[in-house]
Amino acid sequence: MWTATIRSMLTHKLRLVLTTASIALGIAFLSGTFILGDTTSKAFDEVFTKVSSGTDAVVRQEAAFTQSEGAGTTRAPIDAAVLDQIQTVDGVEAAEGMSSGYALLTDNDGEAVEPAGGAPAVGYSMPIDESLRGDVRILDGVAPTGPSDVAIDASSAEDNDIAVGSTIKVLFNGPAQEFTVVGTVGFGDEKNLGGSTSAYFDPATAQQVVGTPGVFDQIDVKAADGVTDSELADRLDAVVPAGTEAVTGQTVADEASDSVSEDLQFLNILLGIFAGVALFVGSFIIWNTFTMTVTQRSREIALVRAVGATRWQVLRSLLAEALLLGAVASAIGIALGVVVATGLTALMDALNFSMPSTSLQIQPRTIWVSLLVGVVVTTAAALVPARRATKVLPVEALREATPGTYRPSIRRAAIGLVLLGLGVAGILLGLYGDAPFLLFGLGVLGVIVGVIVLTPLVARPLAAAIGRPLHWRGVSGELAQQNAMRNPRRTASTAAALMIGLALVVSMGVFAASLKASFGDLLDESTNADLYITTTTTQAEGFSPEAVKAAAEVDGIETISPNGFGEARFDGKGEFYTAIDPATAEEVLNLDLTAGSAADLGTDGVLIAEDTAESNDWAVGDTVPAEFAATGATDLTIAGIYGQTGGFVESDYLLSIDGQTAHAGGEQLTSSALIIVADDADQAAVQADIDAALADHPDAKVVDQQGYEDQVGGFVDSFLALVTVMLLLAVVIALLGIVNTLALSVFERTRELGLLRAVGMTTGQVRAMVRWESAVIALMGAVIGAALGIGLGAALAQALKDQGIEAISIPVPQVVLYVVLAGLAGVLAAVGPARAAARVDVLRAVVTE
Amino acid sequence: MSTLIKPRPPTAAAAARAENVSKQYGEGDAAVMALDNVSIGINSAEFTAIMGPSGSGKSTLLHVLAGLDRPTSGQIHVGDIELTRLNDKQMTLLRRDRVGFIFQAFNLLPTLTAAENIRLPMKIAGRKVDDYWFQTVVDKVGLADRLSHRPTELSGGQQQRVAAARALVTRPEIVFADEPTGALDSQSGAELLGFLREAVDELGQTIVMVTHDPRASCYADRVLFLSDGHIVDEMGNPSDDAVFEYMKHLGE
Repeated sequence: MWTATIRSMLTHKLRLVLTTASIALGIAFLSGTFILGDTTSKAFDEVFTKVSSGTDAVVRQEAAFTQSEGAGTTRAPIDAAVLDQIQTVDGVEAAEGMSSGYALLTDNDGEAVEPAGGAPAVGYSMPIDESLRGDVRILDGVAPTGPSDVAIDASSAEDNDIAVGSTIKVLFNGPAQEFTVVGTVGFGDEKNLGGSTSAYFDPATAQQVVGTPGVFDQIDVKAADGVTDSELADRLDAVVPAGTEAVTGQTVADEASDSVSEDLQFLNILLGIFAGVALFVGSFIIWNTFTMTVTQRSREIALVRAVGATRWQVLRSLLAEALLLGAVASAIGIALGVVVATGLTALMDALNFSMPSTSLQIQPRTIWVSLLVGVVVTTAAALVPARRATKVLPVEALREATPGTYRPSIRRAAIGLVLLGLGVAGILLGLYGDAPFLLFGLGVLGVIVGVIVLTPLVARPLAAAIGRPLHWRGVSGELAQQNAMRNPRRTASTAAALMIGLALVVSMGVFAASLKASFGDLLDESTNADLYITTTTTQAEGFSPEAVKAAAEVDGIETISPNGFGEARFDGKGEFYTAIDPATAEEVLNLDLTAGSAADLGTDGVLIAEDTAESNDWAVGDTVPAEFAATGATDLTIAGIYGQTGGFVESDYLLSIDGQTAHAGGEQLTSSALIIVADDADQAAVQADIDAALADHPDAKVVDQQGYEDQVGGFVDSFLALVTVMLLLAVVIALLGIVNTLALSVFERTRELGLLRAVGMTTGQVRAMVRWESAVIALMGAVIGAALGIGLGAALAQALKDQGIEAISIPVPQVVLYVVLAGLAGVLAAVGPARAAARVDVLRAVVTE
Repeated sequence: MSTLIKPRPPTAAAAARAENVSKQYGEGDAAVMALDNVSIGINSAEFTAIMGPSGSGKSTLLHVLAGLDRPTSGQIHVGDIELTRLNDKQMTLLRRDRVGFIFQAFNLLPTLTAAENIRLPMKIAGRKVDDYWFQTVVDKVGLADRLSHRPTELSGGQQQRVAAARALVTRPEIVFADEPTGALDSQSGAELLGFLREAVDELGQTIVMVTHDPRASCYADRVLFLSDGHIVDEMGNPSDDAVFEYMKHLGE
């Protein structure tokens, strides 16, 4: 039976190729997302672990909780005197104080060298003792030794043609300085640390430019021979002052690794959803293909049954085929996954949405999960048609097969309507009731599945309507319309794959359009600013406070008010906070203070959003327990309550910038500055002057309100583009499904095509007929998908009303474009099958076997 | 009165003719000569039957005459058009515009109604259907009340009559019928053949039919006998007994 199985597969090459392709593409997406996720995770890991790889023990300030917010910002510094203490401890081979912090490189033209994919721009101390350098090695030139020396990562040097010996400017939280590049640095085999840029200074210089004189961020210690890391850490821990701790290098690396996994959870969930969508769409195609091939083989199966094979033997043979096919196709899919991962990385780069990257990581987990999923999905999709095939009585199948007529099933209608109803109810409860968000998600799923179940019932009239205009194309158009209508279940399940893809793409489009439309209104309401200073790229964490100082020198500015942001625990919960300038904030921001005043913030005050204050029963003068990673627990006094959230200020907690500096362990990057132009000054002239003043600060730029909206909108756009392109891959799989269905239909209709050719249909007309049928199926999927997508997108926007999305905007031209493109893609999908149809031998219809 | 006469050489006035046509399938040892240097003429407004045992090459002859297949050598004319010089597109247009077909089975598109099937060739050509002629043909085959039915709702005999109507509605120069009664019971078969006969007598249609059934051949004006790829004989005004006897003789 096994031989028969394999032989049967090989005799129908087309069928084999199409089925394999549909499985392989689905799995390619799954494994591709795994590979991408692992690679990104590894890249992030490298950023945080490779730098500390040479150290056996680390002495640092104790922290209330560990988290990574970029290098060197989470813990308070250690007094430099501790270093002297440590060097006297028995078993210490070498110890050096380390400083690290924001250090943005500029290229030969003074333009900022932006790190890839939101990775940080960091400056470090280069340990004098080489044994403390670990994986950090000098690739070219020498290590920095003097106050004007810098060594930079090899990627930054190569990509920007920065030669050893050239002079570049480096930006810090403090004043920028010029340095001579004395060497390039590599990290193990990599030329950069997960996309970040690195600047290495000699320890004394580093303490000046990225640290603080008199203190270190941490002290790295190398153990003498014969002393284990943990012994060393224990000995050090015994001598360091209270509030300071000594841990092994491994502990530091593990902590970093943990926080990376947490940070990447969002990415992995996102990728997982895409893989799920791709597989869902893929399994539709596998199901469809198996249903059709089994129907076509019913004669073959009947023959085998007639000569004495049992039903179980036939079923086993079909399942064996599915199993084998699933395994082989999944293996191909895994290989293709590498291509998908590479493509996605390139895509994210192109959309300015790049993630730190390293060599592609293919974990054993990727392989076995992909294989397992591929085999299980394929076998499951083959099970129902296989069972159906074995139920056919031998004599029935041996008779001339006539296409069965489709009768709409009441059971299907009932199930579909119930699912749809429950789904809508779930969404409505999620939107307007107190139901958890999960119910909303289940509602969305219910609606999608309900629509899929119902599609075959409406496929016939819908295909008739969509195909109606084809009549002016003559007989090809009419026959195409009728062919699309003749098997509603097949047409529907082929269109369903496209429908799902398009529904998701369109819902994202509607959601993003609503987001952008709302943001413009909100920004208008929430700020009085004429101009904004912002980061040059949307992904940068912030810019040096020096830029604000430079801009403030310009004449014609009435008010300039910088902002920052950070993360802390308030009342036990991790939250983002916004840092404002208390003296100017109320001038530039419409905070709608209902009580208190921003001016009273001081270093230990906090402004609370009205909703949060209400739900916690807080009032002005109350204290809120807060915890900062760098400085630990503290009580903040409520200085005011504000009503306006969304728009410019999105967080529920506002601190003063001084407060942030005090609690977050030093001066932080500025995220933006709001500017009001003086009444008697010309705004355009002021903007030009600020622009000139920022020439020395390539990490910041000045924009007007429209520019700021565009920048935020641009971020939404590039995120939307990323999501859309990933979802479009699901659409590509759906198109492959159309190719599949058409190819098998053409095979099934060989005699019909022969007849048409015999009575005078030209090959051109035959091709057109297949093409139009494809277009009808694609348009059907697109139209239902677009309608579904608009509904879901609007629901999603409505669900996030609390977050400030008040307008629901449907990007009509975009949706129309998608539908038209889907139709064109359908035509494209038909190229192969149409050619096959035109090649059908005329005599095939005439000659009776 | 049946008479056996020697085959006539093709004349220029014929509706279709084959000159020294050979058709070989396969190469070398596996080569089969389906037609071996056949020359025939089909007279206008006549009903010609081509008979022969299985494997005699009768279907192949019909296919090459009708432009469904190409001969290995020789020339085919339909009217004044030489078929072997035509490319695929021209052949297709010839079939569409000048020839009608009735096959043994699977003559109709399952998605179309009887009326739509009948109009199909006109539709393909993008030509207007002559309503009067359409009605004449439909009345002739007795399908007036079945026009909105789909093929699955029609009997085998009715399906073949739809096919015949489709073949005639374009007013082709020749109708080619390949075992048109092969899948029908004798009653339905007789009806169909009677209708074809009428088409020749009353409408002046030229018909060429391949069959292995002597009873079918006696509806024809002339029967050509084919054996092993050769035209071996010809009979005018055949009776089924005479044809049956001749076929027995051919089989020996």
